[in-house]
Amino acid sequence: MKALQWTALTVTLAASPAYAAQYLTVEQAQRLMFPEATAFKDASVQLSAEQMRQIESLSGLPARSAHWRVISAWQADKLLGHVVLDDVIGKFELISYAVALDPDARIRQVEILAYRESHGFEIRNAAWRKQFVGKTAADKLAVGDDIVNISGATLSSNHVTDGVRRIAALGQAALKK
Amino acid sequence: MMRRAQPWLGTLVEVTIADATDAPASDLAFSRAFNAIATVHQLMSFHDPESDVSRINRAAHGADIVVDAHTARVLGAALALWSQSEGVFNPLCASKLVEWDYLPAPGGPLPAWATPASALELEGCRVIKHAPAWIDLGGIAKGYAVDVAAAALAASGVRSGCVNAGGDLLAFGDHDWPVLLRDPAHPCAPGYATEVRDCALATSAIYFSRKEHKGCPRSALLHGREGRPVLRAGSVSVSAPSCMMADALTKVVAATGDVHHPALEKHGATAYIV
Repeated sequence: MKALQWTALTVTLAASPAYAAQYLTVEQAQRLMFPEATAFKDASVQLSAEQMRQIESLSGLPARSAHWRVISAWQADKLLGHVVLDDVIGKFELISYAVALDPDARIRQVEILAYRESHGFEIRNAAWRKQFVGKTAADKLAVGDDIVNISGATLSSNHVTDGVRRIAALGQAALKK
Repeated sequence: MMRRAQPWLGTLVEVTIADATDAPASDLAFSRAFNAIATVHQLMSFHDPESDVSRINRAAHGADIVVDAHTARVLGAALALWSQSEGVFNPLCASKLVEWDYLPAPGGPLPAWATPASALELEGCRVIKHAPAWIDLGGIAKGYAVDVAAAALAASGVRSGCVNAGGDLLAFGDHDWPVLLRDPAHPCAPGYATEVRDCALATSAIYFSRKEHKGCPRSALLHGREGRPVLRAGSVSVSAPSCMMADALTKVVAATGDVHHPALEKHGATAYIV
């Protein structure tokens, strides 16, 4: 098979946009997670101290915040479930994600909305674009666009996994019908 | 170009479809691809007590365990590579990773390190355990999950797509996919660029997993025959027709430092160390 050629990037990492990928908007995610819904309503919650304690005991994690962004999904007057929105900040990355919960607070789906390398992965558009000149893919490249793949050692998603566990507990404590 | 991401396999898995297609068709293809990833995750997770891997690890000496065909395929490939690499790739490495706090203890006494390959016998979907052993398919299952997700995309009619599980990726179809490689000296910046077309590419390095444990330097990559951590600072990438083999072969090259290791040619693979 054809051997791949790695081209070293000699790029000055000046102030430039960080690597970011936008996967879904909140509207796209809620529609994807509840395709049968006819209406979505803001159902953000303000947790009581008791509910926060309950989340901590159910998840084994700090409740972190009293205010949570929640959207309820409806089909006419029937509650289909909730979408809980959250962001996690890791050592290297910033991730926005959405968790869909059934009315009984069971997890239905998790979707990443956006990913951003918090410490940069700073790539200067013009300089590294040159590496692909003459290639068909070059036209489609843009910093911050969502089509560049990154290969490297695996970055753990523990922060998201913990976040989903916390949201499952939030569902039990504050959203379960 | 449409892209979605979900958390699986301990990392973020990105699925990209390059076809110009309508939303219902792509939604179905995405959902089949992520379901395929979820299946592999559930079968081969070291952390999930219900997984095939955990059932094998908990099983007593002499036990006969029936596993899913996916698990049998990955375990079969892992055991074959163990022999092809003369033990450098070792799926029975979990006892060291538990000892170094990279994996949680699955229960029971810590098996001895030098477990021979004969500890596990695979016959179709039956695993016979001849000696106490803990398996970890973490070095190969992520690549396999990428392969089955890409196959699910293709089976859904996608002509050009890419699945990337935290850096282990497979691209298919009539499209050059740009790939940036993390600079091992500055992993938050890209050091190298390339393109892939109709092949898999996997990378292993220690920059995210290196740590001091009880005063000793450790990493999540280990030399399977010698039981010592790989501490080389560079990054190993392997391209191969399948992501499962690309993923597993990065471990062989990382441990040996040999970009001409005979196991590479056997699997139509090429390795790069940067």
